[in-house]
Amino acid sequence: MTRKPYRAPQRWSWWLKNPAYRRYLLREATALPLFIYALVLVTGLYRYTQGQLAFTRWLEALQAPGWLVFHAVAVAACVLHAATWIELVPKLLVVPGISGRSIKRGHQVAALIGSALVLGAALVSWPLAGGAS
Amino acid sequence: MKRSNEPVAWGLFGAGGMLLALVGPGLVVATGFLLPFAEPAAAFHAVDALIAHPLGKLLLLAAIALPLYHTVHRLHHGLQELHAPLPHGLVALLCYGSATVLTIASASWLLVR
Repeated sequence: MTRKPYRAPQRWSWWLKNPAYRRYLLREATALPLFIYALVLVTGLYRYTQGQLAFTRWLEALQAPGWLVFHAVAVAACVLHAATWIELVPKLLVVPGISGRSIKRGHQVAALIGSALVLGAALVSWPLAGGAS
Repeated sequence: MKRSNEPVAWGLFGAGGMLLALVGPGLVVATGFLLPFAEPAAAFHAVDALIAHPLGKLLLLAAIALPLYHTVHRLHHGLQELHAPLPHGLVALLCYGSATVLTIASASWLLVR
């Protein structure tokens, strides 16, 4: 290890000029709404431990327009994350005899099926009340 | 030389990234748009039934903990790449520390049921 490594000066705005860098940072930025989303889930679990009334209060809070907008942003971020993540999978997962394109296709199909399964399970187990209660 | 924690952090980051890619969009639509407008009692009992099952506990913990570790890893490295004038060690501690604390809290809440 060098004792005094030279660090080339770089401005914080290095990513603004190049579209590829902007796309890269947008991809990394998907982590922020998804982190907040994970916090929402943790809150929901905590409210669940407090009983049915507290859990219902949490559900009602999530009906607010602000949270609906947030979840729309989170869905968009998650779709962007999924697309860019699966794009990278063939670079990390190399299987002899299977082309990178097939590995990517396989993951894309798996992602469509995976999200559809979660949605299907949700629709089966949570009968919609027909709008805000 | 000090051994790096990076392989562990990257393993959790990778697992969380894969989970979010495979079921993330469906999960966000389910809990963000369907669950709040479900019949409240039915929603509570469905969640209760899921948590009552050991496999349900495991799935929920994975759905909470892995995305937490995935996102804090990206936020931690993103702050570094933007040259945020923050002490690197403190940011790492806050990021991975909060993910770990929330994971332990979630696990304990799941186990009380």
